[in-house]
Amino acid sequence: MAMDDLAAVLESLRPAPGSGGMAGVDAQRCARALGVDGVAVSVTPGSGLNELLWVTPGASTRLEDLQFTLGQGPGPEVASSGAAVVVPDLAAEPAARWPVLLPEVLALGIGAVFCLPLRLGEVCLGTMTLQRARPGPLAQTPMSDARIITHALTAALVKDEQSWDAFAAAHDSSHFYRAAVHQATGMVSAQAGVSVAEALIRLRAYAFQQGRSLLEVAEDVVARRVHFRDDDGDEPGPAPGGGTEGP
Amino acid sequence: MTREERLLAAVIDAVDTLVDDFDLIDFLHTLCDRCVELLDVSAAGVMLEDPGGELQLIAASDEHTRLLEIFALQHDEGPCVECHRSGILRLNIDLTSPAETGTFPVFAARGRESGFVTTHALPMRLRDTVIGALNLFDTRRQNLSPADARVAQALADVATIAILQHRTAAHANQQRAQMHAALKSRIAIEQAKGILAERWSTTVDEAFDALRRHARSHRLGLTMVCRQIIDGQLPTDAIDRP
Repeated sequence: MAMDDLAAVLESLRPAPGSGGMAGVDAQRCARALGVDGVAVSVTPGSGLNELLWVTPGASTRLEDLQFTLGQGPGPEVASSGAAVVVPDLAAEPAARWPVLLPEVLALGIGAVFCLPLRLGEVCLGTMTLQRARPGPLAQTPMSDARIITHALTAALVKDEQSWDAFAAAHDSSHFYRAAVHQATGMVSAQAGVSVAEALIRLRAYAFQQGRSLLEVAEDVVARRVHFRDDDGDEPGPAPGGGTEGP
Repeated sequence: MTREERLLAAVIDAVDTLVDDFDLIDFLHTLCDRCVELLDVSAAGVMLEDPGGELQLIAASDEHTRLLEIFALQHDEGPCVECHRSGILRLNIDLTSPAETGTFPVFAARGRESGFVTTHALPMRLRDTVIGALNLFDTRRQNLSPADARVAQALADVATIAILQHRTAAHANQQRAQMHAALKSRIAIEQAKGILAERWSTTVDEAFDALRRHARSHRLGLTMVCRQIIDGQLPTDAIDRP
């Protein structure tokens, strides 16, 4: 029942010191409580930084990865404006709004997106993105319940200082969804002899060109299936023989 | 305007900074209704500290005069006043017990007259600041389970965050700075792992162990060591290979 699901989500949002999972929650249950097909929560405290806190598998995960790879979409918009972005019918949205993202999102079978800020005062700390295959607005009750959850989550993030400290120090128990992206950035910077900032740009460009998510490409780099050594002038490509050749 | 409406208008007016925000008041009413449904209690109210430091009711699940008057009584006595002062929640207060209601006899008597037997007060706090309290009433003698209590505190936190949208940005900027620093620090660690793993042809986990050992044996911060590697200030061969 939706009501039990809402109570369960609120109950599980309490800070769990040492668990490493900040504000861990059953994302499926949250989606069920709000009557949508998927939900994702990211923290985005400025400068394009982004970490996925929890997400339902499938379309919501792909949507978050696409937005992170492309740097466009409702999430980045909400993160910079602090105002909610509600798109009840994605198919009717002008293509120019998110030219690269929109066709991809429609291809995932997403019909409606509701992205709410995790706001504290004037500051947007992150986003909660709900998606549903069926187009149409979100009814008043699920919308106010979604606001309840975003506020509760914001409070949990503020209270959970210990987990943030563990996260900052890369403590064993703390999970970092996008760890591979930053590890790969370091590896590419060493491979190509460029700064980490440029290495990340090269990774994004390669992911976009290959039509893959940044995280997938990063995982390939870390597993040494793809390298960016350009001393021979070649474009990035698969490592020969799947090997782990030295520098 | 009915008497109830006038009473509510009066208390809302007192909380001067929030008067114009009908959206917030509406949201807090919805929240009070949700409290009643989710926690299976009889009534709920959000009490907020006004600029004079006194508690005022800002929203309730039910706007009958008697309930509003009980909330309004909590100027100088009552579980919310104590909760607001101490920042500590008070659950499962038996309004019929003189021992449990010793410090607020008038409040307890009026509550009983209105048919309430149990009350709960939860602080609305963000870090060290307590801005008010969530007050719950029950016409039955029943306790909140530990799980219910966590839901109740989460709901009190929701009210806190909703109200703080409209207050100073000091907390928010501090919080953003902390999260920003934590993410940047973590990203630097992951990037340095990648750089060393690439240079040494090791796994990122082996690179991380080497980084930690180096930071520990040289009494340096892990993040600082990682930043130096990224900036090229610390040569890779200065670190013991795994």
